[in-house]
Amino acid sequence: MGHHTEVITSVGIDIGTTTTQLVISRLTMANRAAATAVPRIEIVAKEVLYKSRIYFTPLLDHQHIDAEAIARIVAGEYQAAGLTMGDIDTGAVIITGETAKKENARAIVEALADLAGDFVVATAGPNLESILAGKGSGAAAFSQAQHRVTANIDIGGGTSNFAVFKDGRAIDTACLNIGGRLVELERHGDRITYISEPGRVVLRECGLTLGVGDRISLPQLKLLAQAMARCVLEAVTTRNLSNLARELLMTPPLRLDYPIQTVMVSGGVADHIYSSEQPVALSGISTFGDMGPALGWAIRDTFRAAGVELTMPRETIRATVIGAGTQSVNVSGSTIYLRDHTLPVRNCMVITPFPDGLPDNPGDIADVVQQAVFRATSGNIDQPIALALDGPRTPSFADIEHLATGLAAGLAGYLREGKPLVIVVAQDCAKVLGQCLETRLARAELICIDQIRVDEGDYIDIGKPLMGGRVVPVVVKTLVFPGPS
Amino acid sequence: MQDELIKEIVQAVLIRLAAGDPKDAKPIKQSAQPASNQGERTDLSQPREAAGENLEDLAAVDLQQEIMVPHPVDGAALEYYKRSTTARIGVWRCGPRPLTRTLLRFRADHATAQDSVFKDVSEDFLSRFNLVRVQTMVKDKDQYLTRPDLGRQLPEGELEKIRRECPPKPQVQIVIADGLSSRAVEANLADILPALKQGLASYRLATGRDIFVKFGRVGVMDVIGMTLAAEVVVLLVGERPGLGTSESMSAYMIYKPGPETVVADHTVVSNIHKGGTPPAEAGAHLATVVKCIYDAKASGVKLAQQ
Repeated sequence: MGHHTEVITSVGIDIGTTTTQLVISRLTMANRAAATAVPRIEIVAKEVLYKSRIYFTPLLDHQHIDAEAIARIVAGEYQAAGLTMGDIDTGAVIITGETAKKENARAIVEALADLAGDFVVATAGPNLESILAGKGSGAAAFSQAQHRVTANIDIGGGTSNFAVFKDGRAIDTACLNIGGRLVELERHGDRITYISEPGRVVLRECGLTLGVGDRISLPQLKLLAQAMARCVLEAVTTRNLSNLARELLMTPPLRLDYPIQTVMVSGGVADHIYSSEQPVALSGISTFGDMGPALGWAIRDTFRAAGVELTMPRETIRATVIGAGTQSVNVSGSTIYLRDHTLPVRNCMVITPFPDGLPDNPGDIADVVQQAVFRATSGNIDQPIALALDGPRTPSFADIEHLATGLAAGLAGYLREGKPLVIVVAQDCAKVLGQCLETRLARAELICIDQIRVDEGDYIDIGKPLMGGRVVPVVVKTLVFPGPS
Repeated sequence: MQDELIKEIVQAVLIRLAAGDPKDAKPIKQSAQPASNQGERTDLSQPREAAGENLEDLAAVDLQQEIMVPHPVDGAALEYYKRSTTARIGVWRCGPRPLTRTLLRFRADHATAQDSVFKDVSEDFLSRFNLVRVQTMVKDKDQYLTRPDLGRQLPEGELEKIRRECPPKPQVQIVIADGLSSRAVEANLADILPALKQGLASYRLATGRDIFVKFGRVGVMDVIGMTLAAEVVVLLVGERPGLGTSESMSAYMIYKPGPETVVADHTVVSNIHKGGTPPAEAGAHLATVVKCIYDAKASGVKLAQQ
């Protein structure tokens, strides 16, 4: 038995539009239940051990990320931290903002995840990015400690990521294609060196006919920054969006069917928001070769004019990477059903066959499951599946057997090929459901876990068991690559 | 004469209270009711039984959802804290005293707890399971409560019955006892027992015939284990009820009990009920614990130290 606490080392790597960063953290797991109760293992402490330098994301050109240079950054930082790949237990690589649109984004994030450690997972997607940034900034923890609905806006080089938290949980997310690097400038100069597609849209909206190589004036830059700032303000204050904001949204807008009580801004642009500097000359603004400082000041002034107070979060520019390093890994419930040798499993696509509740009889359950699995695997036979469901009709043994009978009949075909199957139940019944399925499906590669929340379209990765085999580390993630724009 | 008069008045008041609209019984609203409302009632003669049907069942109200503070400064925070604990927090007050509603709820929960101590597990319920049924040296509930030692012993006749009806030397012997809560047995057994047996079967561990002990305490499992020379004994027993729940069950497990066995040799998993660890999931978990005990050939503190 033993195993009172266990420490794992987690890496977070964020490849953003402007910067690439890495953090190493230590996560401590312990049994929080009383000695005589069924164990309840949780992550009880998260400590950042090492923060890398902040690098400019190396690009070969505007469509390709420089894979070799990124690998060198990671290797160099591991060395500086005094660690090797073998020391890393888990973590996440996230590719964010405009960088996720590059042609080789998916290949790089997957290769990097393999390089970075044994159970380091590849992730991408604007909504996940929003949630990780809000957790990394401290907004999620603030919403729980203060019981305030808190919106975090992470503004980087390419996107503004909105996540709204209530009692520590994300209740809404959105992503707006606005950031400090949509228009790039000659460092310490006033000449435009690059305009991204969304940058072009904003320029047009402002009536500015500027192109690469043109010089931009301070009033023109302010006009541009103000237009962007208004879109950011609109996104957290109204459903009645301007045409520009609507065009720049990469996801559905925030629902705003809840009161936002606190607004925080993180990301590289945030440091300019919480400063009292004012634009004096373009040469001072373009220090980083972009319009980030101007955007930050414009957002500060626009929110102030609208009477929306901005609260400074615990982390600003490092929010996303800290979120990826400390918040992406969860542990399952402590009574689960496993076959160790099938772990780890990666990139299981979550399907939710019963969105409107469980059918009454096992025959109907079987039909629905069989069809859902067939649909999910028709395009890609090798795609591993995670079946997510709320649980049996009631937690009684009879109803669990009822569910198991239906599931077993519906899944027999899929399991016959020896493919692993993950079942994620919301109710605390994973172990008994797993055993009921085992008696019906001998030798199936089954993993049955509970107390993890997933949605249709998520992906999950499950690592090797921890704490004496009682729990597994689970990463719930998205893999959304918007593709070259 | 004076006493008689007082009694009459008290009776009248009680009847009036019982006949009252249950909504009026809510303390917050009650304080806002003008006293004259009471005078409008003319149906004082209404029989008590009929009025009783209209009374709210306080014990059925989910305490964690009931907000008693009339105008909370931060309602969301209060709801959050109430959700996070089963303790009676945020119950409001009347001067320095609890509200009548709070006091009545407290007494209702206390009564439920007492009921589950004093009532027997029903015959109907037990007949649904294939159990060898025995009774300890205890004669009745009063003796059960006052003589814990007798609740750990079986008379020779009952031991003989066990030897006769149960196969000897089982890998795992399951024993069920009423303990201090008959309700715990009735609420959980149908879910925990098949889940436990299914789990044991998947580990290829064979069980003997299950035994039910009336008026049983934890120590009786050791006596049965020794009688049958069982390798592992599992006891499912009703826990002493609290004001939070009276349905909580514990599972005690021991490896090869003998005359030297002490309390610390037992492994325990407690808090098994629908609001704690659900019984079906607990049964599946217990199978893993039993497997661990069986393989380690040790239980209790000895197992924890391995």
